[in-house]
Amino acid sequence: MLAEKEENSIKRSVVDRNLKELIANNDSIYAVVLSSIDGHAIANQAQEGFEDSKLAAMTSSCLALGEKIALEANQKGCDFVIIQNQDGFLALKRVGRKLVLTTLADKSINMGMLLSATRTAAEALYNEIT
Amino acid sequence: MSELKFVITGTAGVGKTTAICALSDVPPVATDADTTDDLSIIKSTTTVAFDFGEVVLEDGARVRIYGTPGQERFRHMWEIIAEGALGLIILVDNSRPDPLDDLMIYMSNFKQLIEDTGVVIGVTRCNGSDRVSIDDYYSFLERRDMFCPVIEADPRSREDMVVLMDALMAMLEYA
Repeated sequence: MLAEKEENSIKRSVVDRNLKELIANNDSIYAVVLSSIDGHAIANQAQEGFEDSKLAAMTSSCLALGEKIALEANQKGCDFVIIQNQDGFLALKRVGRKLVLTTLADKSINMGMLLSATRTAAEALYNEIT
Repeated sequence: MSELKFVITGTAGVGKTTAICALSDVPPVATDADTTDDLSIIKSTTTVAFDFGEVVLEDGARVRIYGTPGQERFRHMWEIIAEGALGLIILVDNSRPDPLDDLMIYMSNFKQLIEDTGVVIGVTRCNGSDRVSIDDYYSFLERRDMFCPVIEADPRSREDMVVLMDALMAMLEYA
């Protein structure tokens, strides 16, 4: 039980470090959320206060839809869902089987940079915690 | 050709996805994700966006059936799915600790849709020793000035689900 607690606390610090780095290294990314594939918020980092529970549930719905739309188009392995808006972007990226990483960026970001930064963070998280 | 849209809702694990699989004349669409919480004790995946199926009636009309996620954190999907719907089926798991309380959650969350259209309640996992009987459901609704059909149903049975759908269509026709 103690070992499990310790492992969870190490994982928590790995998650926090990775999310903090993602925000710190990209001025245009203003919030990041790690959530479970079934819609529970796990951790977030944001330049300002941020409510992540509703977004986590919506992220789960959106990614599941992306996967089904891909299948309908005879494609598979939905990796990213990108939502481009007038004033910014959201990028949703799977992390292994059970997690989703969502980055929120303002419109000054280059989309390639957003995807690359999100992918790098997702891969680092995957390698370190799963 | 006319098209109807019905919605099936109810608690997580009640059998909404199963019901749509049983009913649908086309391969159903299910948007499910692995469960990572307490629900994993009873099932390994859960609906996170919607389930979709289609039933073709004898006159050629198509009924599109959407199943909602059960958990309240997916309320955003409830609102999206309810848009343009012509009727609601609420499935209630009678083996849960307080099925009437569960029922109320969905009756109030879909209040507008129910008022605008109609609702039928399907009670699943019934057995002889249930604490809550079908009559209890009717009394419960009556005390709240509500009336709608309450029917025992097994979501795995196409026949049972067709009975619910027919009841809903009859309600809408004569409302």
